[in-house]
Amino acid sequence: MSECDLMRESMPLLLTESLDPAQRELTHQHIESCAACGDEWLGFRETWTFLGSLPEVEPRAELRTRFLASIGENVTPFAPAKSRRYMRWLAQAAAVVIIAGSSYFAGHYRAPIRIEPTPASVSRYSIAESRVLPAAAVSPDIEGRPNIENVSFIDANPDDPDIGLSFDVTSHVTVTGRPTDKSMVRLLRYVLENENKVSPSRSRAIDWVRTMYSKPGNTDPEIAEALANVLRNDSHEGVRIKAVETLNRMPGSDSADTRQALMQALKSDPNPAVRIKAVEALVNLARSGVPFDAATLDTLRQKAVQGNENVYVRVKAAEALSSIHP
Amino acid sequence: MRTKTPLSCAAIALLISANAFAANVTITERLIKSLPLDVGDSVWIDNPVGNIEVVGSDTPGLVATVMRTITGVDQAALKEGSEQTVVSFEGDRNVRLIRTILPHVHSDKWTSSVSYTLRVPRTVQVKIASRISGRIRVANILGNVTVTTFTGAVILDGVVGSSLVETTNGKVFYLYRQKPTATAQVQAVNADIDVILPPDSTFNWIADTLRGDILTNLPARAEFIGNAFRGSVNGTGGPTITLQTLLGNIRVLGIGIDVRLVQNVRQTVAERRSESPLLRPSKRIQLPISGGPFDFSASIADVEVGEVRGWAHVVTAAGEIKLGTVYGDCVVTTNGGPLDLGDIMGTLTASTDAGDVQVRSAREGGRVSTAGGIIRVLYNGGPISLQSGGGDISVRQAAGSVNAETRSGDISITADSQQRTQKFQAHTQQGNISITVGPRFAADIDATVLTSRPDANAIRSDFNGLTIKREQVNGKTKIHATGKLNGGGERVELFAEEGDIHISNATASPVTMGPP
Repeated sequence: MSECDLMRESMPLLLTESLDPAQRELTHQHIESCAACGDEWLGFRETWTFLGSLPEVEPRAELRTRFLASIGENVTPFAPAKSRRYMRWLAQAAAVVIIAGSSYFAGHYRAPIRIEPTPASVSRYSIAESRVLPAAAVSPDIEGRPNIENVSFIDANPDDPDIGLSFDVTSHVTVTGRPTDKSMVRLLRYVLENENKVSPSRSRAIDWVRTMYSKPGNTDPEIAEALANVLRNDSHEGVRIKAVETLNRMPGSDSADTRQALMQALKSDPNPAVRIKAVEALVNLARSGVPFDAATLDTLRQKAVQGNENVYVRVKAAEALSSIHP
Repeated sequence: MRTKTPLSCAAIALLISANAFAANVTITERLIKSLPLDVGDSVWIDNPVGNIEVVGSDTPGLVATVMRTITGVDQAALKEGSEQTVVSFEGDRNVRLIRTILPHVHSDKWTSSVSYTLRVPRTVQVKIASRISGRIRVANILGNVTVTTFTGAVILDGVVGSSLVETTNGKVFYLYRQKPTATAQVQAVNADIDVILPPDSTFNWIADTLRGDILTNLPARAEFIGNAFRGSVNGTGGPTITLQTLLGNIRVLGIGIDVRLVQNVRQTVAERRSESPLLRPSKRIQLPISGGPFDFSASIADVEVGEVRGWAHVVTAAGEIKLGTVYGDCVVTTNGGPLDLGDIMGTLTASTDAGDVQVRSAREGGRVSTAGGIIRVLYNGGPISLQSGGGDISVRQAAGSVNAETRSGDISITADSQQRTQKFQAHTQQGNISITVGPRFAADIDATVLTSRPDANAIRSDFNGLTIKREQVNGKTKIHATGKLNGGGERVELFAEEGDIHISNATASPVTMGPP
């Protein structure tokens, strides 16, 4: 029996909410990913809705008497309201089961069952600021106790039966992968560069980046670029010190963008430790033979002769200049 | 007016040589050009790569001899280099501009240099801009001279007018054929500056070098203002000669005076006024063992001593200081540079105006400060105070009380596992605080986080018993945790702004370093 057949058998139970949570989730996922079953499910729902909309017809008195006599029971009349709801649900379920059963048996006897392996298509999970998800794509099981905040209800079109529920959810997510995976690099870049959102974590993130991306083979220009941006923009001096220190130690961080960030830090960073580490990084670049442009030389020279600069920074700038052969 | 003279038309090819054992091919071309130039005119030479010689004469007019040398990996590269290295004669009778035009970026298959030898009327003004040269020489000129270059020797020989030289690397050599009558200024970074002049010259002298020596055999009365030497030679009056080089030496010598009379001005003045380390001659010290106390001060010095069998006192204006074991009190002060200190048996006092500080062991505790930089202490056996103007602070094994404060950075303190209670104070204006203590550590905790994130769960503790309160203070959320660990003990006071605080429980000893 194919997976689709199994899922279609589960659809009536899904309609009556009689499936266990795991099976329900599995069925929903299959319906989302399989167009044929999706159509089938739509048919089930329409039928279900249609049956629910049918008017209730009171049986004729003689028919009722005959029916009761045939089952041989002395039936006490039910409370009308309960009776109607229960009977309607039962009727709907019965009809659906009959339809599904008929379909199944018709198909079963018409052709042999072939189990077609269907490769699972898992769409990539992207981390986004805002996302609209169909309710069917969301598992009804809420795991753990995520913080759900800023809840609002949306009914964009009153004529449309769909509604929306909007909220911010905070949950703990672990993304695994190689340091060189683009998703991992981008995620780290986001963590490094978003000062306001992840303030306490940023300095730890840089520590971790330094450990991980200083290893040969793990270098990525985007990480260097992110660190350069941190060096340029971060208001947190301790974080800037770590960023420049990491840039100094990280192989492959000799791009023009990195040099520019180092020059800017050397020129104008208020923290002398940042300036020292920036000029040390430039000394290392100069010694490794990285060509410096005229503007860089000019900045280094200005720094070397700047009377009110820290003496050590001036000396280091001079040493950088002595290593340069333009 | 701008006149470009294609060298290929005007030049005489003197030499085309190809080395049979090397792939490079070199071509040298020579051009001689005469242009009108009057006595009060100016000559500007802009030549990025190559030697320049300007010699004044009594003959009117300018005669330029240009040698253009192209080296390429093959004939095609040679041709490209030849096409892209253009010598241009521009300007008019009043201002002659001679320049070499090179592309900003060019193929690395060729290199080129152009050498100029100019004969000009000796009264003209000369202005030279260069980047790399073996030698720039200006001789016998009465007018003003300006030279700007990056590297190479600059020689001013018999220049009478005002002169200004700016260079980064290389060497500057002034030779006065007669007593100086006009101001001269040299601003260098790494270059040595030598001035030789008649012994009876009278002038005001400003000499400024951070790492080099200032030497003279002339009678100079001087004083230091900051690290600049200001004085007068052979009495007051005369022009001012300003010589500045950051790392190079400055020598002012009289012609015919015994060179054995040369004195280091910094040293002689420092003997009289020794309060500023900038006045001390710079040194590089590498010493495995100091048999007794070690007392050292210098302007710019990298100091490295393996072991000091006594107290240590080191003062520098700038430089890296590295001390291994010190069997006594240790005082280290620098105006800038990292400090790397080993096992300090006595009390430690270390401060730098900029740079990281690393201390392996401060057995009696002490005080460590940096205006900006990271402070790392592996072990402290006594009370220690740590202050950073910006940068992380970490103490890996605190067996004494710790008072750590940084303007921006994380603070991490791990208590010695033997400690049952200890006083810790940590304060960061931007950053996180992490305190790690043993499971039986007893303390009165007072932890505060001030954050702009109202939802922050900013104080975490592996211990029970903390009461956490939140309140709004000036638009920020103040999270305040108080309580007693293991029944209470010494006060642990923590304050973190825009960060978080974590009090964690460690069972293992964090480092192998042990108490004395």
